[in-house]
Amino acid sequence: MEISAIISSGLLELYATGAATESEVATVEQWIADYPEVRAELDSIEKLMESYAFAYAMAPTPGLKTNILDTVFPQASQVVPVQTLSFSQEKRYAHISPVWKYLAAASILLLMGSVVLNFTWYNRLQKTEFAYTSSKTELASMHNRMEGMDEDMQVVKNKYSMPVALQGLAAAPEAAAKVFWMKNSGEVYIDPSNLPAIPAGMQYQLWGIVDGKPVDAGLIITTTADKKYRIQKMKSFGKSKVEAFAVTLETAGGNPTPKGDMYVMGKM
Amino acid sequence: MGEIKTYSEDELILRLQNQDQAAFSYLYDHYSAALNGIIHRMIDDTQLAEDILQEAFVKIWNNFKQYDPSKGRLFTWMVNITRNLTIDTIRSKAYKKQQKISQDDNSVIGQKDSASGAERFDSLGLRKQVEALKPDQRIIIDLAYFNGYTQEEISKEMGIPLGTVKTRMRAAIMELRKLAKN
Repeated sequence: MEISAIISSGLLELYATGAATESEVATVEQWIADYPEVRAELDSIEKLMESYAFAYAMAPTPGLKTNILDTVFPQASQVVPVQTLSFSQEKRYAHISPVWKYLAAASILLLMGSVVLNFTWYNRLQKTEFAYTSSKTELASMHNRMEGMDEDMQVVKNKYSMPVALQGLAAAPEAAAKVFWMKNSGEVYIDPSNLPAIPAGMQYQLWGIVDGKPVDAGLIITTTADKKYRIQKMKSFGKSKVEAFAVTLETAGGNPTPKGDMYVMGKM
Repeated sequence: MGEIKTYSEDELILRLQNQDQAAFSYLYDHYSAALNGIIHRMIDDTQLAEDILQEAFVKIWNNFKQYDPSKGRLFTWMVNITRNLTIDTIRSKAYKKQQKISQDDNSVIGQKDSASGAERFDSLGLRKQVEALKPDQRIIIDLAYFNGYTQEEISKEMGIPLGTVKTRMRAAIMELRKLAKN
């Protein structure tokens, strides 16, 4: 084939614009290997197409170069001088330096250590919380007891308070009790802490002797051990003239008139 | 684009064959805009276009040993890589799906006439001369060079016999060459 015929065939143009078929490509490659003139012609067509492409050039966003360089040279982003870049574009294909890898490894170790510590501290916290709760309960009961004692003390310390000692009688010679009678108001309190323990179903009852007859002054609370030892308020006698106080053991709930043994008695 | 150093094409090729990173940086500075422009003639999506451009440059670097200077110019080889990647993307299911959603004008010629963002392009080179080409001549060049059409596809798109594509292409390019010399 003559060179001029090759050049005017249009195949070089198809080759340069990428529209040649596989067999045409092979043909053209053979021609340019064989004929320098054909090669020169193709070269000028390609140069023309190159400037045609440049006519439509459109600069990509500046950060893209960094992305590409970081992708192509994973270790060498510092080696190749790079244009200034914006951070947001850089991070898309951010290259990870060894320092960060060590930091990442270190942070994983730290995290694991922290998990262990958390577990230990959590257990300790639980124990502490338990101890705290029991201390609190204890403190509360102490406080209650304190308050009780305080109330008792108020009764004893009251300036109108007149103590009456009740002595043990035949049924319980060792027994004793103390009544506090408020001179101003006629209120009656009793300290039953030295009365003996009583069987189930029974209850102590206080009596005031008025005009030689026993008058009910109320039941003494002994159901809770706590209360038994506390000074408790009984029925008030007001302005009535009480000659003596006595405690008898009655069936639970008490009786209108004393039926059981008299344990202690004391005159005003 | 500050040019610190210029290489002749032979020198650039030699450096790239030896995996010279600075030469690659230079290659990018010189050709990224032209290649990006080609992608944009086919795809009107800046992000997607840049993804393709990135893929193209990575491929150019990784496959540089496959470039044979005896078979054509470096730029022609790079355009082929870029164009093929773009066509692959356009033919991908994901892209077609997206196009269906934002369908406006599917005709290639229509797209070009609407000159999607042509004003945004850098006007280096032949811009004015290109505008002076007859529309038919411009279309045949663009279908092949920018859209990667085969001869069959060109013949169908333009309604001309397959055998005429070669001669029409030659005539168009000769005209362009004439205009470029002015």
